[in-house]
Amino acid sequence: MAQATSEDTDAEALGHLVRRFRNFVDETDREALAVVGVMTAALLTAFVGFLAVSSYTIVPFAVFLVTASYGWLRHQGLTARLLTLTMTVSTILILILITAFIFVEAVPVVFYESATVFGIEIPGLRMFIQPEWDAVSSPIRYSMVPMIHGTVMVTLVATAVAAPLGVAAALFLSEIAPRTVRELVKPGVEILAGIPSIVYGFIGFTVLSPWASDQFNILGQGTYLFVGVVVGLMALPTVVSVAEDALNSVPESMKSGSLAVGTTDWQTMTSITLPAAFSGVSAAVLLGVGRAIGETMAATVMLRGVPKLTDPLYNVFYGQETLTSLIARNYGEADGLQMDALFVAGVILFVTVLVISVGSQYVEWRMRKKFGGDV
Amino acid sequence: MSETKQNPRKDTTQPLQTTSGESEEKLRSEWTEYEFDGRTKLAVEDLDVYYGDDHALKSVSMDIPEQSVTALIGPSGCGKSTFLRCLNRMNDRINSARVDGSVAFDGKEIYQDGVDLVELRKRVGMVFQSPNPFPKSIRANISYGPRKHGDIDTSLLAKVFGRSDEDAEERLVERSLRQAALWEEVSDRLDDNALGLSGGQQQRLCIARALATDPEVLLMDEPASALDPIATAKIEELIHDLAEDYTVVIVTHNMQQAARISDQTAVFLTGGELAEYGDTDQVFEDPQSQRVDDYISGKFG
Amino acid sequence: MAGATRTRLVREDTSGADAVAALAVGVASVLFGLGLAAMFEVVGLTGTLAGVPTLPLLGGLLLVQGVAVVVFGVGSRFGAVETNPRPDAGIVAAVAFTLIWLVVGGLVASQVLGLGLAGWLLGAILTGAAGFAATVLPREDVGSTLPAGVVTALVGLVFLSGYIAPTSVWDLGWEQKASLTAEFMVPVVTVFCALLTGWAAAKAYGGFGARGRRVGAYLLVYLNAAAIVGVLFALVAFTVFKGVPGLFRGLTFGPGVGPESTVALFGASVTFSWPVYLPFAMNGVGLLNDLNGVLPAIVGTFWLVVGAVLFAVPLGVGAAIFLTEYAERGRFTQVVEVATNGLWSTPSIVFGLFGFAFLIPRFGNGKSLLAGMLTLGFMLLPLVVITSREAMLSVPDEYRDASAALGVTKWQTIRSVVLPAALPGVVTGTILGVGRIAGETAPILLTMAGGVFVPGSQTADVIGGFQFTAAPPFVSNPELLQATSALPYQLYALITAGVGASGNVGNPDQFRWATALILLLVVLSFYAVGIVTRYYFRRKLDYE
Repeated sequence: MAQATSEDTDAEALGHLVRRFRNFVDETDREALAVVGVMTAALLTAFVGFLAVSSYTIVPFAVFLVTASYGWLRHQGLTARLLTLTMTVSTILILILITAFIFVEAVPVVFYESATVFGIEIPGLRMFIQPEWDAVSSPIRYSMVPMIHGTVMVTLVATAVAAPLGVAAALFLSEIAPRTVRELVKPGVEILAGIPSIVYGFIGFTVLSPWASDQFNILGQGTYLFVGVVVGLMALPTVVSVAEDALNSVPESMKSGSLAVGTTDWQTMTSITLPAAFSGVSAAVLLGVGRAIGETMAATVMLRGVPKLTDPLYNVFYGQETLTSLIARNYGEADGLQMDALFVAGVILFVTVLVISVGSQYVEWRMRKKFGGDV
Repeated sequence: MSETKQNPRKDTTQPLQTTSGESEEKLRSEWTEYEFDGRTKLAVEDLDVYYGDDHALKSVSMDIPEQSVTALIGPSGCGKSTFLRCLNRMNDRINSARVDGSVAFDGKEIYQDGVDLVELRKRVGMVFQSPNPFPKSIRANISYGPRKHGDIDTSLLAKVFGRSDEDAEERLVERSLRQAALWEEVSDRLDDNALGLSGGQQQRLCIARALATDPEVLLMDEPASALDPIATAKIEELIHDLAEDYTVVIVTHNMQQAARISDQTAVFLTGGELAEYGDTDQVFEDPQSQRVDDYISGKFG
Repeated sequence: MAGATRTRLVREDTSGADAVAALAVGVASVLFGLGLAAMFEVVGLTGTLAGVPTLPLLGGLLLVQGVAVVVFGVGSRFGAVETNPRPDAGIVAAVAFTLIWLVVGGLVASQVLGLGLAGWLLGAILTGAAGFAATVLPREDVGSTLPAGVVTALVGLVFLSGYIAPTSVWDLGWEQKASLTAEFMVPVVTVFCALLTGWAAAKAYGGFGARGRRVGAYLLVYLNAAAIVGVLFALVAFTVFKGVPGLFRGLTFGPGVGPESTVALFGASVTFSWPVYLPFAMNGVGLLNDLNGVLPAIVGTFWLVVGAVLFAVPLGVGAAIFLTEYAERGRFTQVVEVATNGLWSTPSIVFGLFGFAFLIPRFGNGKSLLAGMLTLGFMLLPLVVITSREAMLSVPDEYRDASAALGVTKWQTIRSVVLPAALPGVVTGTILGVGRIAGETAPILLTMAGGVFVPGSQTADVIGGFQFTAAPPFVSNPELLQATSALPYQLYALITAGVGASGNVGNPDQFRWATALILLLVVLSFYAVGIVTRYYFRRKLDYE
């Protein structure tokens, strides 16, 4: 039933679109219509040419530029509308292209790493059920398990650092700090969110890793623990800044209402402000988790670069490889299947972070709906 | 606007605005002096409030009697809400606000070091202009204060060790909702989110929430300004009943409302000064200040 | 209902008990400081402090502190101190203390008594249960002090007894060798106990109950905020400290000391010499250079940013205009919104992979500046769309209606009303986005790269590089199609090259830190400018 109605509305929307297009054709004068037509055709040709790696791509693109400037002079409103539509379509196309390309490039190795379960061949399964990565000697195996393990370890440590400390700091900035402190610290924290990850990695590599090796009598350098700490510190300003915004958006009347019945400000924070800003605060934490998963340079520089599991699995004092550092370290000498395996790592990262992002947007949307747009 | 108009009944040849002259000061202190039987609950003396450079309240002194309704009226921006927020120190929340002078609650100065704001606000409850229920269930809204004060304990640990106060909570919720005349309407949906109630119900819920902490004084900041006439009538009736047990101080810009529900009325005029304070009947029927007369008869404000 | 509890409205002057609790907070902060100092080896565990060996000193302080906290709690229980406790310490404290006592019990059973798996599990569970009971069964004053104080006192006793030597090492027995050392564990445990008893003492100082919990929580929150600000500030300060010598080496002022630059406009060209000579920012790496620098990387980063902005800003702003002004609000805009937000959080290395697979084959099959520009442009695009949309949505509809009511066409309304009003938001968003992409390494690693030590001759000259050719694509610019360096990549290359590959650079370590500093300066100045403009515009809007 619900299915049917949604199809109905889809059909209706389509009919609406067709009608609008017809109206548009009827209402616009012929010359403007011709300009629009040429622009569209030229741009489409240019795009196809670019996809086909043609060196003649520039010709239709030039035609597009010429018609666009002519249209801009003669029919500005219409051209502007078409150009902005083009830009929207390009933006969406880029998203589709990113998705398509990293998925397509990953396909060959997925079929190479098929595994048979109960007589059914499942492509790509072997990458996740056996932990061997060996790109050199036969049998050549591209397992994602060690890297997933590494990413999970780093993300867990980073979240343990960034989430509680970040939320507490956001509470401090939004609810506790005197005004002058807040006005100084808030922009400062935002600026610190910009420290490039390679600088964190550099400091971690030159200062933290040697210190950790010395303190824990580790052979060599590189631990998941300290990569996680560095990545957590890196994500911290982002978490603080976004969570502070969420806490600040809780209406003052709600906080006053709680204080007026005689609660301490700490009770107001924990019982009213934090729950009311829950969606925003959790979005901040999820954003931090997304950053931690996707963080590349600190992991690449600080880890050992051996794609294998640590022993025991919870051994945080050894750091082998994460999904991101695998790509950054191996893209240079990789080709063929190994290159495709790097794309599989990319797909895993892309999908995971996308799911987190969509999830946090959903949580926020639900909460906004529940509280009628206030919080 | 028509301050030149002369009223033969009054001997107020000098308008209050004139900056000098003892007589004006004397007159004003006479007009704001109010003799009453019974105990003083709140004694305010020479209260000045500044928001940054803005002098919002000018040297206000008034004594508020126990177990009665005191209405604060005046044009918008006259400082009546500011005055109200001084009585439970909610002005502390505003960074730029500075308060000079003295407010004594049961003879205890509340503007001094070592005052326990939590305890003060427990005893001096407040209802705000627009309803501000918490995004929790109706039950949780009512029992929020007592829970936080530790008077009611329904935490997991309390339940495990069999010292949960669920019965006391039930009684408290019912008593407060009945006091606020909301019980009949919500008794069957205490676990629903309070944000689902209508505006008038939300405001009565906020009154019930303030009563649940068993305050001695109830401050109300235009509690009916956002409500329809029926809800307003209910709240007015409620305020009238509350005065039997509580000291109610209510800000309103609706003069009819003030006349209907209050025992005494204080009139604030633009600039943040208290122009007249006295028995409600006397203030409305026979105001002593020319400006107050103009204000009440609708000539300005 | 039984009447609500009443406490005094005005608290009298601090009593003796308050002073004791405050003293305990003070001792905790001393312990905290000592622990941190020991962790970063400012204070050696083997040495002495004020004539007392460090380890026993720490132990003694911990013992005193633990006992003091317990005495205060018990004293409060028996009415010696006036407090305002709740019936129990609460579920959060209960969970925390249970976990702590689980660990303590497990460690004692396995390490000291040497019990097997079943034995230490049983021990851990027993002590954990004891910790739980001690927290929730007695009143709050005892429940929140006793478990904390006893742990601390026990640790103090262990340190005092000499059971742990400053050089003790526990091999974890994992295949890949790693051990816990006393050198690390003693400071960590000291800091932890200081926090624990500091919290309990702060709670006691507040008289337990709601106020006590507030004081205890505030102590931790303030400490956390100070630590975060401190650590982040220290990171920047450390980089500055290490980078400044390399950055300013050979800095000279004076007319004509700098390198010559030629500015050519409409056929006329002017050549002048810079009055400042900063070798690190004005030189490449070369055999004949007196001092080497990273000029090619700076110029590369500059062109990368310019290219990405030229690509992403028009595209993003245009898309935002269409989405907010022309498209009907509905499923389509919602999907685009979700997609752009998703794209913004996509890891930068994924953009790099995409550039590697999509752009490189299309630009002559080699890493190139152009590919780097476009990849970073792809990264910047979603942010530009998001911030521009936000800015345009915040323009009130009344403006649009007022303009439309005057008979102005839609596009004219957008151009003269919406865009000017949204400009501040677009500009600040772009600046912040530029800050982020200027510091990105991963995408250019795969699409642009470059060398470790780049000679000055390889500085990209994009403007001068354009040529017209007879063969398609008719216009070419070899500068755009060849790899050049950029600051973040240069730093990465320097790190991975290691100390051995010193090249022609006299002091590679100094060279690396100076590179890190100049990268930090470039990126943070983008952020600073972006944030300052945002605050400026916000304030302006607030007061209007």
